[in-house]
Amino acid sequence: MRLNDKKFFELAKENKFEAADLYLHRSYSLSVSIFHKEVSSFTQSDSYLVVARGIVNGKFGTVTTEAIDKNTPEFLINSIKDTATIVESDDPSIIFKGSEKYHKKNLFDKNIVGKPISEKIDLLLEIEKRLLAYDKRINEVATLSYDEGISESQLSNSYGLKLKDKTASYDFVAEVTAKDGDEVRTGFKVFASIKDGEFDVDKFVSDVANDALKRLGAKQCKSKKYPVVFDQSTTASLLKAYLSNIDAEEVQKKSSMFIGKLHQQIASKKLTVLENPLLKNYYFRYFDDEGVATNKKFLIKKGNLETYLYTLETAAKDGVEPTGNGYRGGGKTHAGIVNIVVKPGRKSEEEILSKINEGVYITELHGMHAGMNAQSGNFSLQAEGFMIRDGKLAEPLSLITVAGNLVDVFMGIKDVANNSKFLIESGVTTPSIYVKKLSVTGE
Amino acid sequence: MISKKQCIEVLNAGLSSGADYCEIFIEDKVSKSILVENGKVESSTIVQTHGAGIRLLKELQSVYGYTNDVSFKSLKTLADSLSNSFSGKRVLSVENLKIKNVKNNHPIERPFLSVPSSEVVAYLKKGEKVIREFDPKIVRSRAAIASSHSKISIVTSKGIIFNDEKERNRLLLMSIAADQGKIETAFEGPGALAGFEYFYKNIDIEALAKKCAETSIKFLYAKECPSGRMPVVIGNAFGGVLFHEACGHPLEATSVAKNLSVMSGKLGEKIASDVVTAIDDGTIGNEWGSNNIDDEGNPTQKTVLIKDGILTNYLIDDFNGRRMGMKGNGASRRESYKYEPTSRMSNTYIAAGKSTPEEIIAATKLGLYAKSFAGGSVNPTTGEFNFGCSEAYIIRDGKIAEPVRGASLIGSGKEILKNIDMVGNDLVLSQGMCGSVSGSIPVDVGQPTIRLSEITVGGNGGELK
Repeated sequence: MRLNDKKFFELAKENKFEAADLYLHRSYSLSVSIFHKEVSSFTQSDSYLVVARGIVNGKFGTVTTEAIDKNTPEFLINSIKDTATIVESDDPSIIFKGSEKYHKKNLFDKNIVGKPISEKIDLLLEIEKRLLAYDKRINEVATLSYDEGISESQLSNSYGLKLKDKTASYDFVAEVTAKDGDEVRTGFKVFASIKDGEFDVDKFVSDVANDALKRLGAKQCKSKKYPVVFDQSTTASLLKAYLSNIDAEEVQKKSSMFIGKLHQQIASKKLTVLENPLLKNYYFRYFDDEGVATNKKFLIKKGNLETYLYTLETAAKDGVEPTGNGYRGGGKTHAGIVNIVVKPGRKSEEEILSKINEGVYITELHGMHAGMNAQSGNFSLQAEGFMIRDGKLAEPLSLITVAGNLVDVFMGIKDVANNSKFLIESGVTTPSIYVKKLSVTGE
Repeated sequence: MISKKQCIEVLNAGLSSGADYCEIFIEDKVSKSILVENGKVESSTIVQTHGAGIRLLKELQSVYGYTNDVSFKSLKTLADSLSNSFSGKRVLSVENLKIKNVKNNHPIERPFLSVPSSEVVAYLKKGEKVIREFDPKIVRSRAAIASSHSKISIVTSKGIIFNDEKERNRLLLMSIAADQGKIETAFEGPGALAGFEYFYKNIDIEALAKKCAETSIKFLYAKECPSGRMPVVIGNAFGGVLFHEACGHPLEATSVAKNLSVMSGKLGEKIASDVVTAIDDGTIGNEWGSNNIDDEGNPTQKTVLIKDGILTNYLIDDFNGRRMGMKGNGASRRESYKYEPTSRMSNTYIAAGKSTPEEIIAATKLGLYAKSFAGGSVNPTTGEFNFGCSEAYIIRDGKIAEPVRGASLIGSGKEILKNIDMVGNDLVLSQGMCGSVSGSIPVDVGQPTIRLSEITVGGNGGELK
């Protein structure tokens, strides 16, 4: 059953709401997993979600529901009234009339869905066989799955704004174990795309297998301060944590390290970072959750902080234009970033490594939610990677920690490599970075 | 709501192609939250979760589907579609269903939704005010309650409809202190499987708020934690997150059944030092991680996982139990109808020992006292884990000395269990959320104060001197 949205907006008017909006999301998905040459699980879903907001006496009320029937419009209206009446904050409550221009693109690839699932099962069985045959030390394919789905969303409001988006996507996930004597290591990869035909089986098989094999023989290094090179994925993790501080709300509420840092230096001159939500990939967005058009923009230009990220509310408070970064999380809208792009440098990673006599190359950072304090910038994280000896990658490292402060890392960037890579896990496109010495703990 | 007769029809549709088990999981949940920040109600929201999942099992294969259209027509279509995954002949049909209204062992005296918002707001403001007024360096003070009330029906081809109803309430306090570019955050989050009465009966909100504010100020000026291998005393309550990650996850049938856990095949073996006994107990009255039944309809249990250092049991769901040749022990859980259930923890803790916490600290000449943690993670296959400390101090000459920030602990599960050399008598449980394959679920971690003879500590403060 579909929600009667006309009824909702009529009731909002009758109840003297100053404005109201509705976000509808429908998703369909199918997934299949293989274990030991058999389909171990198969999942299909069809789900629907409605988020309704309304402004009552200048305050926002919010409700989310998955239950749609003829009483839903009344339920939404009553819940909005119920939640709005207790709000006391003087923060401006705004529902958006619309941007002048939207960079809408149709990225929906209908060829992704609807093919017989048996084709995908055969492909997974083939991948499992090839992973086990890749190297005799690969002894188990622990996880192997395929997912596909369609996601449709629509934002409409009482000013007549109506924005729609529809995408199809698919992904492959695999985890293997590699065993050598008593030592066991795991390797893991995700491939995801919104374009049919982009999946490369050979590359996926070798990526997954090598992710486990490269770790065999890993040891702890001696504890001391080393020059550190972060690969693309670990650079992405650190950068995302650092950029969480450019949320204007955090700045306004005095809990950001970037208070008073607008147009000031927050990173080495070697670092330039953009946000480009319009990149035609998995993360593409042409409007944010508040209906503001998104745009490509500089976040950090040659080390200088170019902008804070604004929602409608925080922009009104600072008297600036919203930046198209309003995303929903829980009850309130907060600033979010879609598609972070780091400008690549000139040197290859090999050239950069060649100048390091003894250092550490980091490929994994674990427990970001616990060991990273993004607000203070302090971190102490479990890491994996390789020793750098005489300008080259040497033995693998595990069970080490790398500790420091994000400000020191980003101010201390000595070089940015030219090996840019789009990371599906984080939506960041970045090369590796070389930073000055950091504390590494091992033996 | 679909009728008993319609349920039978849906189950039989699912079983039509050779599945040996079929289950319908129907969920209706209302969650409400209220947040007070810097003296004012900042936001409030209501979330209604509504849907059903159907699971078919055939030997070691599972098929799962979910929808939020819970009409008979929709569920019948889903069951028909799922049964297409198998191509055998029917081996089972359901003739009748017995309704079992599960007895609630965790009384709800005042459901949150029946409490006037004004009362909730007044309660939150009492705590938030203590944080705000504690010190001018506190820039943000937050107090919130997140509540959820759910009704669940599990209809199984074993011929039973289980109807269960439960409510959880959790208080969240946060203090953010800032001074000259330094920022420090502290957090407290007690909760229960109970109604709003829990807060009046069990929580002194003002005392807890004061502790939260104090912690954020104390660590604002703390030095950075030294690094290296050293003795570490782990605080009670949330310190139990160490056992949760390092040993609890690897004991879940999810990874044990497929022989992917470091703990696979180790039943009856000595895996920890003699002083370690560890328990998972989903039955504790009104406790945050408890339940009347698990998400397959089995009653929750108290399971001794490790007794005096010997591995005695795993956490098992019925489906993974098939692969292991063992019966489920009430440990099957899921976040919502959107997830297939699997073996998970409930309230997991290390049992109390004999030493007093003072004796343990006094017995440590130079080391770290890791009093509380922000969380951690583990790779169940290699057993390698990490924890970020939220509150830590140096121990000097058997006494707690200066606070340090930015400490993390890393190691492997088997090493750590054997390095526990003292266990305190001050067992306390603490509440949190645990994320894994079947979603994010409420769990308790817990332990008395314990000591690890040696573990790797990561930090930016150089060598411990």
